[in-house]
Amino acid sequence: MTAALGAGQRANLFADRHFKWLVIAPSIVVLLAIGLYPLIYTAIVSFQQITMAEENTAWAGFDNYGALFTDGRLWLSIAHTFIILAIALPIEFVLGLLMAQLFLERMPLKQVFVALLIIPTVISPIVAGSTWRLMFDQQYGPINQIIGWLSGDPVIILWLARPEWVYPAILICEVWQWTPFMFLILLAALSNVDRSLIEAAEIDGASFWKTFFKIVLPVIKPVVVIALLIRALDLFRIFDIIWAMTKGGPGTATETISIYTYTRAFREFETSYAGAIAFLVIVLLSVIVILALKRVEIAK
Amino acid sequence: MRKATGIKSLLGALAVTGLFAAIPSASQAESAADIAVEAAKKYAGTELTVIWEAGLQSLDPLNFSGPKWEELTGIKIKVVESQVNEMFPKMMQEHRAKTGAYDILNAVPAWLGDLVRAGALEPLDDYVDKYKYREELEDIGDVYRLNQMKVGDKIYGFPDDGDVLILYYRKDIFEDPKNKEEFKAKHGYDLAAPATWDQFYDISKFLTDKFAPAMYGSGNMRARGLFHYFFLERARVEGCRFFDAESMKATVNGPGCVKAMAGFIKENTTMPPGVEQWGAIESLAAFNAGQIAMTQWWPPVGRWSAGYGADVEALSWVPKSVVAGKVGYALPPGGHPELAAGFSMAVSADSKNKEAAYLFIQWINSKEISLQRVQLPYALRDPFRKSHFSAPSYQALWPDAKHYLAALEAGAKSGVLDLSIINTFAYEDTLSAGLQAALGGEDPQKALDGVAAEWDKLTEKVGVDKQREAYKDWASKPNAYPN
Amino acid sequence: MRATATYRRARVSRKSRFTAARFFVALIVLVIFLFPVYWLFITSVKSSSEIFARPPVWFPADASLGVFGVLFKDGDVWAIYNSLIIATTSTVVAMILGTAAAYSLARFRTGGQNLAIWIISQRMIPPIVIVFPIFLLFVWLGWVDSYVGLILLYIAFNLPYVIWMMRGYIEDIPIEVEESALTDGCSRWQALRKIVFPMARTGIFATTVFTFIFAWNEFVFALILTRTEVLTFPVLVTHYYGAQSTFWSKIAALSVLGTLPVFFAVATLQRFLVRGITMGAVKG
Repeated sequence: MTAALGAGQRANLFADRHFKWLVIAPSIVVLLAIGLYPLIYTAIVSFQQITMAEENTAWAGFDNYGALFTDGRLWLSIAHTFIILAIALPIEFVLGLLMAQLFLERMPLKQVFVALLIIPTVISPIVAGSTWRLMFDQQYGPINQIIGWLSGDPVIILWLARPEWVYPAILICEVWQWTPFMFLILLAALSNVDRSLIEAAEIDGASFWKTFFKIVLPVIKPVVVIALLIRALDLFRIFDIIWAMTKGGPGTATETISIYTYTRAFREFETSYAGAIAFLVIVLLSVIVILALKRVEIAK
Repeated sequence: MRKATGIKSLLGALAVTGLFAAIPSASQAESAADIAVEAAKKYAGTELTVIWEAGLQSLDPLNFSGPKWEELTGIKIKVVESQVNEMFPKMMQEHRAKTGAYDILNAVPAWLGDLVRAGALEPLDDYVDKYKYREELEDIGDVYRLNQMKVGDKIYGFPDDGDVLILYYRKDIFEDPKNKEEFKAKHGYDLAAPATWDQFYDISKFLTDKFAPAMYGSGNMRARGLFHYFFLERARVEGCRFFDAESMKATVNGPGCVKAMAGFIKENTTMPPGVEQWGAIESLAAFNAGQIAMTQWWPPVGRWSAGYGADVEALSWVPKSVVAGKVGYALPPGGHPELAAGFSMAVSADSKNKEAAYLFIQWINSKEISLQRVQLPYALRDPFRKSHFSAPSYQALWPDAKHYLAALEAGAKSGVLDLSIINTFAYEDTLSAGLQAALGGEDPQKALDGVAAEWDKLTEKVGVDKQREAYKDWASKPNAYPN
Repeated sequence: MRATATYRRARVSRKSRFTAARFFVALIVLVIFLFPVYWLFITSVKSSSEIFARPPVWFPADASLGVFGVLFKDGDVWAIYNSLIIATTSTVVAMILGTAAAYSLARFRTGGQNLAIWIISQRMIPPIVIVFPIFLLFVWLGWVDSYVGLILLYIAFNLPYVIWMMRGYIEDIPIEVEESALTDGCSRWQALRKIVFPMARTGIFATTVFTFIFAWNEFVFALILTRTEVLTFPVLVTHYYGAQSTFWSKIAALSVLGTLPVFFAVATLQRFLVRGITMGAVKG
């Protein structure tokens, strides 16, 4: 291995202006082609008065945006979304990390185990939701039966019909499905950590946790941050499993922002109002994501 | 094929006997189905697209009516299947983009108003006259014809499915002398199909107390998207009005409405545990398995519980019936069954081949073809014509079929309509949400107050005057409210 | 030296006991995670009365693969073929475009922080929020219910994920290794092929796998942008929920069929994945 280069040389090697734009250009073009039109369209209709019965394109000023503030169901749906996000994400991360540690070193049948563990993530969220709906069924599902065995008495828990049980049900499905995703990414990341560093630390008598925080975590951090970010964004958009399990019910107890938007945009065809919701969502997310990313970037 | 030969032999007979001129009018002898086929032949080689509910429903156009129509006219029928909840969004979405992707819309009657106001449907009156369909339309059951065909004073859809939620009960249990005796001793009146909801509760509780857990007194659908039908029916039986016709304030939290909701909650205690989650399939399965003595369901349960079509592969998912021959049919308590959902055949305003599209719906909706369709064992189309109820072929399908048809016919006279106003879905959706909350333990009054408040907001958004007009149009239909 | 050897020996025996414990825990974890999959599978082979049996049947006595036959006979499996074409094509293209873009971001900081954030922001928008204008756009382009429409959409939809994941993996590769190759006379392409790709291999496989999964399972776009021709399998699954019927056995059977291809794809790639992992371990 040659010695590290001087600062001047490095600048030369990685300052190829044409190359760097050339390789990123196709992606930007695709993203713009698909991303720009919906944004412009949404922006325009959100200032109009298009409803199901009337394609009224007269300007409405900020009326639709004003209406957002008094739409209690909207804010509740945003709250529901964040509740699911705030509970599911840490659980998925911690479980995924523990499982990755568990499978990091050699173990008989490791490959088989890892392959099988990925199945939940491989399954379509629509299918996952359907499966758990079947599992949680009071009569035909095994969950209540198992709880009954464990507790000694037959139990009747109406998982998807009672507001107090429906969140655990949805969270179990969500965590079941996406923990393997975290697990696999973390396993890949952990395996990139230089083993000799860890062994050296162990020989020096460093505790497991110390080794983990001082040596392992800094190395896997870029991937961890991205995995968390991507899962957080996916959780913010959560739609499929709720669609399959409760469609937002009972009542509006599990209505998330995506489910609510669907109702407004495709059930009621409140095209203009749905446009305003869309913009609210985009603004809200932009603020959160940019704040989060900048912090991460600074911490780097 | 059968019809073609029919026409030929008829014409042949006329020619042979030389009575051609003596027949008052040759065209009168021709059925609406034949007229449609003859007129459609000039469109041979084209394709019509129809949007239809996925699953059993669409087996009709896929396996029966589609191929048959193509054979007769040379017009191909392409079926776009869609999950039932997605049909309305799909229709509207294509209409917004003016794609004309669907020529024929198989629409729930309650959607017709919204679809017409959005300009998505073609008025059919001119076609009806041109192709002499008026007379056969008269044969459609009154409730369907008077309520599910027109928006304003124009025809927009042909009622094509006699959906009505009548009561199915176990004759053998109800007629058992010991049960009768015990029941009478306890309640002072005879054990029979309940005429009121109070009786329903008495009977359900009596049977549950006696037979549970092997069998419960009753079990009805409670899941979101289904339960509101039961509420709409019973609330009106209890005197509930959904709106004040003058102020358009929602009155869905009135005493009758609350009483209805409280009744459901009370009856749940006599139903199998977990009934709050039941969808259509749970009550069907439980009834066929003999685990409940009464259920209110769509007409197919009458056929399936009798074992009709049990050997058809498409019905292999239906839980085997152990109650064939033991099922009685009656109107639900109160006597005004909900005409839940149903389907009307309509022509899309964006279709590029409206005439052919119209001819297809006239043909499948006609007396002759519709009778064949409602008898398909796998079909989910239920009898909706007077001639269906009296058809000997149908009455012979199973021993009690005659009684079944009689109950359906009674329902087709006294049934009550689904609510249909501007933006119906939004109202239905907030209602469903409130009802689920009440089933989930919230106080019925409080839950319905919430619904009323939401409805007022929706009405304000739509425009009070506009909605009042739509509501008046709906409420003026003979079966919007009982009496 | 001797101290180290003793330490190693002690460590080995402790380790074997430890491995047995780990194996046992892993087994429990596996059972928990696979139980719903088992339930889905047995639902697909149960008879209709077993599906609705109370208490639920754990080991169907009447098991039959009949419903799978029906799915093939009625042509429902066509949806899986559609999903296969759409997911494979979009994944390959997204991986190529995205890895290139990620390299540019990781090594050149192209466009600075803002471009990177803009790219990830393209993934944060819920599909349901933008799908209607996309439908209108596709109507105009004639892409509704077509392969090209969904493929392009899935490429765009997965690009931010690919770019960000690959950026992370590429940043993990010490820049010095690549520099030395470049100064040793490798062309940029050679450096990529000989240094970057092999070293980012684990990441490439993991990203490919998940991109494929996302495309395979996508629901909202497929629901709204298809009619009949390119119906994908998650949409078809929802068709089995009728107003008056629920085809649980079809739901389960198509789900099993729809999971198998992805599972095999993942399991095959996973061998490489684990090899990548063990190589990493051996290297130390």
